[in-house]
Amino acid sequence: MANKVFKRFISISILLLLFISSFIFAVAIGAVKIPWEEIIEIIFFGVNTDNRVILMDIRLPRVMIAAILGAGLAAVGGVMQGIFMNPLVDSYTLGMSSGAALGAVFSIVTGIGIFGYATTGVFAFIGTVSTLFLVYFLSKTKNRVSINTLLLAGVAVSYFLSSIISFVMMMNKHKLDQIVFWTMGSLSSSTWQKFIISSSIIIPGVLLLNIFGRELNIMSLGEESAHYIGVDVERLKYILLGICSLIVGAVVSTGGTIGFLGLVAPHIVRLIWGSDYRRLIPYSAIIGGSILMLADALGRVLIQPSEIPVGVMTSIMGGPFFVFLLRKQKSKGA
Amino acid sequence: MNYEVKVENLCFFYGEVNILKDINLNFQAGSFVSIIGPNGSGKSTFLKNLSRYLEPQKGIVMLGDKDINKLSKKEISKKVSVVPQNILLEFDFKVKDIVMMGRHPYVNRWKGETEEDKKIVEKAMKYTNILQFSDRFYNELSGGEKQRVILAQALAQQPKVLLLDEPISHLDLQYQVEILDLVKRLTLKEGMTAISVLHDLNMASGYSDIIIMLKEGRVYCQGKPEEVLTVENIAYVFNINVSVSKNPVTGKTYVYPISVISKKKRKLKIHIICGGGTGVKLIQELATLGFHLSTGVLNIGDSDWAISKEYELDVAEEVPFMSITNEAYKRNLELAMISDVVILLPIYLSKSNIMNVKLLTDCKLKDKKIYIVEDDNLEKRDFTNGEAIEIYKELLNKPNVVPVKKDELKEILIKADENHG
Repeated sequence: MANKVFKRFISISILLLLFISSFIFAVAIGAVKIPWEEIIEIIFFGVNTDNRVILMDIRLPRVMIAAILGAGLAAVGGVMQGIFMNPLVDSYTLGMSSGAALGAVFSIVTGIGIFGYATTGVFAFIGTVSTLFLVYFLSKTKNRVSINTLLLAGVAVSYFLSSIISFVMMMNKHKLDQIVFWTMGSLSSSTWQKFIISSSIIIPGVLLLNIFGRELNIMSLGEESAHYIGVDVERLKYILLGICSLIVGAVVSTGGTIGFLGLVAPHIVRLIWGSDYRRLIPYSAIIGGSILMLADALGRVLIQPSEIPVGVMTSIMGGPFFVFLLRKQKSKGA
Repeated sequence: MNYEVKVENLCFFYGEVNILKDINLNFQAGSFVSIIGPNGSGKSTFLKNLSRYLEPQKGIVMLGDKDINKLSKKEISKKVSVVPQNILLEFDFKVKDIVMMGRHPYVNRWKGETEEDKKIVEKAMKYTNILQFSDRFYNELSGGEKQRVILAQALAQQPKVLLLDEPISHLDLQYQVEILDLVKRLTLKEGMTAISVLHDLNMASGYSDIIIMLKEGRVYCQGKPEEVLTVENIAYVFNINVSVSKNPVTGKTYVYPISVISKKKRKLKIHIICGGGTGVKLIQELATLGFHLSTGVLNIGDSDWAISKEYELDVAEEVPFMSITNEAYKRNLELAMISDVVILLPIYLSKSNIMNVKLLTDCKLKDKKIYIVEDDNLEKRDFTNGEAIEIYKELLNKPNVVPVKKDELKEILIKADENHG
């Protein structure tokens, strides 16, 4: 028993260490070199130097947004894998990324600005959430939503929306750059305001997801067995998908569609700590946040003066790492 | 009567299709009830209605004195647990974690598992004998071990009713017995009510207090195994010919399916002189090969007599424990005369059945082909003070009598049939 508590303590310490060092690394590097002493002076002693604006108003919110978005995507990815009992599912599986993209494309093409510079984000959010609800209700028959139908409906809706996007892009070639850039996912226009808005949805969302760890564990036995153990499966799906769509909506409206993280982060946790969702969700969130901070930091400095979009970075980093973990796991024979 | 589960006028439809038709059943507390019936007869659907995974369009299910419709999912899962056929996990968990999942209806979301929960889980694992691998991962276990884990999980729910949906279908015989033994013990010692869908009629017979036979969504009959598992019921419900007897060890009803693969009909008529079980295997083999058979003289109740009746052969029969009377002898001779070949199997010989061998020396059979199946224990089989041995010697000197080895017989007969044409 004591051994177990000790192990858990070590695990959490390692995770927090990873998170904090990623944070420090991401704050410390950038296009403008700011010495360590100056960073500490600015943050902790409020000293007003030339680099204060760069650090406090550009870099810090950007790093913190990366942490929040990464945590949100990873937690949602893990939960979705649990709901669908499918390891290939990620945070965007139910066509949510296409929905987000369509919302964003719509606002970019029409150029409407009812929400100021946040318009694209708001439309992406609406696109995400409404796509999920569309898919959910399309799959509903007789008060029951089959997860297979849900997956298929998600794929179908996703293709449908993508073709609409392609059509719109074809008709609006002069805005192509802007659209492509958005869909790649980027954190380059991060502000404190964006951080506050996105974290006010994502943080409570992720905390709420943690409450359902036990039920998600039971869902691993299959929906029918979960029902026999007293889990209200339909209600659980409804609640979890609802929370997930809000988180994903907040993520894409802030940073565009950042891929691969929602798939990889939960699997890293699974490979090291197993599938218990009571740990998987918080651990995934910490790892997801760390990875996204690192990915964004590297993307900022690798090809200066230009930037690699963070979505591209996550895929480049996550892919090989994931394959490495898979192979390592295989050679253990497990 | 103390009924744990009561089902009244239950009807269930999948869309327009009526799966369960007006089912009325009562399940007594502490009983082991099997539900049998062909595929598509509604067995699993019925179980799912009992656990309220499916909601019937009509009718009521009562758990104890409570209407299942008025209970919440958690309350139901405290009273009823379900063991399905087999569970595969996409994401693996440790055995003890899986068993602990069974405590879900009792565990408070905010407080987590208590010491009591842990004790109950441990007891369940002890009961199903899985404590020794409580730290192993579920997917690494064998089928039988997995099923014991799922059973332990079901027990952790502390149910009054255990529903089992083909719990042994994927298991080796050894594990089938192990699982059903466990369930039986639960009904006997803990007073749990077990309701199980089973495919194996003999397993159902061996373990059940009551068997319910479903056909096309209706209860065709119910009762004790020996009342339900009759040749007629099984022929009607399963559309298959069986023979029913008693298991010689347990005395339980035992069902043997009779193969329906009837090969081409052969023309060769064979009369077999057997008795005391010497003919069972040969009769089955030759009947399956399509030969036209008769047997005699057999005492009624003899196992050779029983198998002959099963295959509806012509039998020269005699009252049990009686010496062969003249009448039976004549009937036997008649049957031997109209057949093309007569076979004498190595039977035990006494004063009461010596006439069976003597028959073959009858001059009316002097042109009949007679095969005597050899064995080296003639002296041991003889209880006639040598009389039988004398007859054997006499027979073997006759030109129409051929001694054959047991394993050659089938081939010889098949050849004889081909030349018979």
